[in-house]
Formats: sequence, C-alpha cells, structure tokens
Amino acid sequence: MSGRRVAVTGLGMVSPVGTNAADSFAALLEGRSGLRLLSFTDTPHPLSVPAGLCADFDPGAALGKPRASTLDRFSQIGAAAALEAWRDAGLAEKPAEDRATWGVAWGTGMGGALTMERGYREVYTAGRERLAPLTVVQAMNNACAAHLAISLGLGGSCGTHSVACSSAAMAIGDAFRRIRAGASPVMLAGGSEAPLAYGVIRAWLALQVIAPGDESSAPHACRPFQRDRAGLVLAEGSAALVLEDWTHAEARGARIYAELAGYGESSDHANLVRPSREGQARALRAALADAGLAPSTIDYVNAHATGTRDGDAIEIGALADALGAEAARVAVSSTKSAHGHPLGAAGALEAVVTVLAVHRGDLPPTLGDAAALDPDCAGVAHVAGAARRGARPRAALSNSFAFGGSNAVLAFRAAG
Amino acid sequence: MSLDPTAAYRIIEERLGIDLKSADPAAELATLGVDSLTLLELMFEIEEKLGVDIGEDTPPPKTCGELSQLIERVAAGKSAVDGA
Repeated sequence: MSGRRVAVTGLGMVSPVGTNAADSFAALLEGRSGLRLLSFTDTPHPLSVPAGLCADFDPGAALGKPRASTLDRFSQIGAAAALEAWRDAGLAEKPAEDRATWGVAWGTGMGGALTMERGYREVYTAGRERLAPLTVVQAMNNACAAHLAISLGLGGSCGTHSVACSSAAMAIGDAFRRIRAGASPVMLAGGSEAPLAYGVIRAWLALQVIAPGDESSAPHACRPFQRDRAGLVLAEGSAALVLEDWTHAEARGARIYAELAGYGESSDHANLVRPSREGQARALRAALADAGLAPSTIDYVNAHATGTRDGDAIEIGALADALGAEAARVAVSSTKSAHGHPLGAAGALEAVVTVLAVHRGDLPPTLGDAAALDPDCAGVAHVAGAARRGARPRAALSNSFAFGGSNAVLAFRAAG
Repeated sequence: MSLDPTAAYRIIEERLGIDLKSADPAAELATLGVDSLTLLELMFEIEEKLGVDIGEDTPPPKTCGELSQLIERVAAGKSAVDGA
C-alpha cells in the first residue's frame, strides 16, 4: 500500500433490476430477478433466450432526446449511470472548477454491438449503400468514454479498457492508480454493455455457455454455485463510480461511501476460456497486498461466478487458496443470479454493489435455493436465497475474471 | 401537389422531442441540445425514410424556424422532381 487514499464519492447504475443505484441495490437485497425471456422474431430464425434487459430505461427521459439520438445503447445506459454517479458526488455537469487533470476510465467488451449489427443488416440484408453518418463513432468502443469526457469537461485522460468480462474492473483499477499516484484528483470510472443483438447472442450460443430457459424459468436461469447451474445469462447494464483523492473529497465535504483500498490483477497465461484457479488466486493475493488487508479483515466477496459448471467451482477454490483458513467464514454471493452477466460492465455493477454492501452493511444474496448449493462450491459462507442484513462488512472484494485469462480484483474498505 | 412534410415533422419529434409546429421559430437548436452531429443523423434519417435529397451544400439550420423552412423546401423540391 502506498500513495494517496482513494474515496468513492458517487455511484450510478442502470441495470435489469433498476434504473438507478439505490433501486438496483434494493431489488438485489429483496431477491428480485431482472432476468426474463428475450425473443427475436424479425430474424432469419426465431430465437428465445433468458436475458437481462434494462426494460425500464428510457434514454430520452434520462439524457434528453437529442443527446440520446446520437448514441448507441451502450453509451446511452453508460451516460445515464455515469451522470447519476456524477450528480451523486455533488458535482455539476458544467465545469465550475479546473478539470484539466480529471479523467474517465471506462470498460466495455463489445461496445456498439447493436449499431454494428444494424449496419450489417442494412448493407447485407437490405442492400443499402449508405449507412448513418455516425455509425463509426457510435459503435467504437471508446464512444461512451469520449461522450463523458466531452460532456463533463474531463481533460486529464479518457481511456477505454476492453478486456472481456474484466473490462470495467480494470478501468476502475486504472482510475484508482491514477489517483493514488497523484495524477488525477477525480476520476469517473465504470463500464457499460448492450450486447443483446441477435448475432452476438448466436455467437455466445455457439460457445455453449448460455443457460437455457423458457418464459417461466428465465428469471432463475442463472444459478451460480447451485448443483444444477447451467450457464450464464447475457445482460445489458452499466454502473459508474466517482473516485476521488481522499483529501480532495474531504476538502469539499463530499460524502464518502467507502475507500477503494487496493487493486490486484493477474494473467492466467493458460487458456482462452477455461479459468485458472492459480491465476485467480494471484489476483486476489495481489489485491489484498495492495490494500494492506489481511484475509481476516475480509467479510464479503462479490464473486465473478457466472453460473458455469467449471468457473464457479474454480473461483471458490481460488478464494480458499487466497484467504486460507479465513475463507470458511467469508460471505460470498454472486448477484449475476439477479442482474445477469453484462460482460464488460459486470465489474462496474458488482463494484457498486460491493460499495453499497460495505456502506449500508447489508449483503445481497445469490438467488436460488440455499439447500441446493453444489458441494464442489463449498468452503465459503454463501449468502444464498436471502440477503444477510446488518452484516456490516469491514472490507470486501469484487472479483472479475475474463475470457483470455485477465483477472481483476478490487478491494474496498469501510469509510471512517 | 406537394409532399406532405408531416412525416418529417414526426421524425423530428420522435428523434429530438421538438414539435416544430408549436416551437418558437426563434428558438436556437443548440440550446435545445441539438448539435451538428445530431443534425447530421437527423438529415440522413429524413433522406432515407422519405426518399428525398437534402443536399450536402444545404447550410445547417440554427433555429427551429430555419429547420421548418428547410423541411418545407425539401418537401417542395421532392414534388418538383416528381413533376407535380
């Protein structure tokens, strides 16, 4: 641990369980699922899969119609979550101060997938020669970050991390390091994803990791750690955090939700799709060391667990390796059971959930039957079926593990 | 006979949330959140959906009144092309 302390002073979220951070967290604590059956009928072949949609999100209402009209959906939900976090931190959209060193670090795995798919349909299927003039700048992965930097006057840095399911966690880690090094006093960090395009879903289905489901079973199609887990559920969503130099936050009287105390990363250097217990444990140990936190101080882990057979058990093994004898008492849940897997944005949604768990003291559950936990996933104190209220975790981890073997772990500590 | 510009007005209302029929003609588009990129996409959609050619040399409208006039001119131009 070295350098400046980093405060979390603003939170925002647009998710399948709510259109803001407070509503989303409340829904998670109540055990409400945001998953439903998504059906395509205007496609070459009909398709229905469980998915997490931000169905209540109205881009025009959230951003104003002119602004929303120039953005891909991943930027629309990203901008909405980011602006919520910005306002939550007590910051104005128009700069009232010098923001020459402030920045944005964003994560997305698939960027403007919907814009790309619409473009392909236009030129290949409809036979058009012309595409909408903003197709490129809507679809590019850094579109959301660029829009945020322009909107908020952030002159220090504007970066986008595209590291599959670790994208947003690595963006938050990057922002954390900039503040700790003294390069920026304020960073807007997070991620967004809107991958529910027909072609994208077909590609994921080909990988054979998507959970099946029908109208009635879709809300509980994602069952991390359960014996009968059958895969992940794709989702759209976004979340953002305002990270701030601790003394800067205190000087302006900002509310501090929690401290982002450490960040650890590692590379499996092993397999594109099969996670590595050793690689994940390295990232966990790196985060603990970076934060100066002993395993005995960790009271909650928001797991990456997506609901795949191998991945969930490997993650529990990595936690056992990194936390040692403490692992058995550490509360663990995977909120993907409720909000699905928003790929590159997952690390942001789960970081916000982890911060709120630390701030409010309540732990959201993994949805599903607590009695149906897989023995292969035993060894930690699962929060399953119902929330654990009043837990008041002293410190907590948020895990993100990506295809390609890029692992990222964020360590948060209660403020005060 | 002239092309009914109603469809263009509907696109503008859906896309920008601006009802040109009731908007103040002097209202500046920039203050309503409409910048040059927003206009670029709007003009493309109108051209594609209504089958008209606004023309690359057309100066971008700065007010609601100028946008209304542009739509009316385009509508009239379409009818002239059709020989009506």
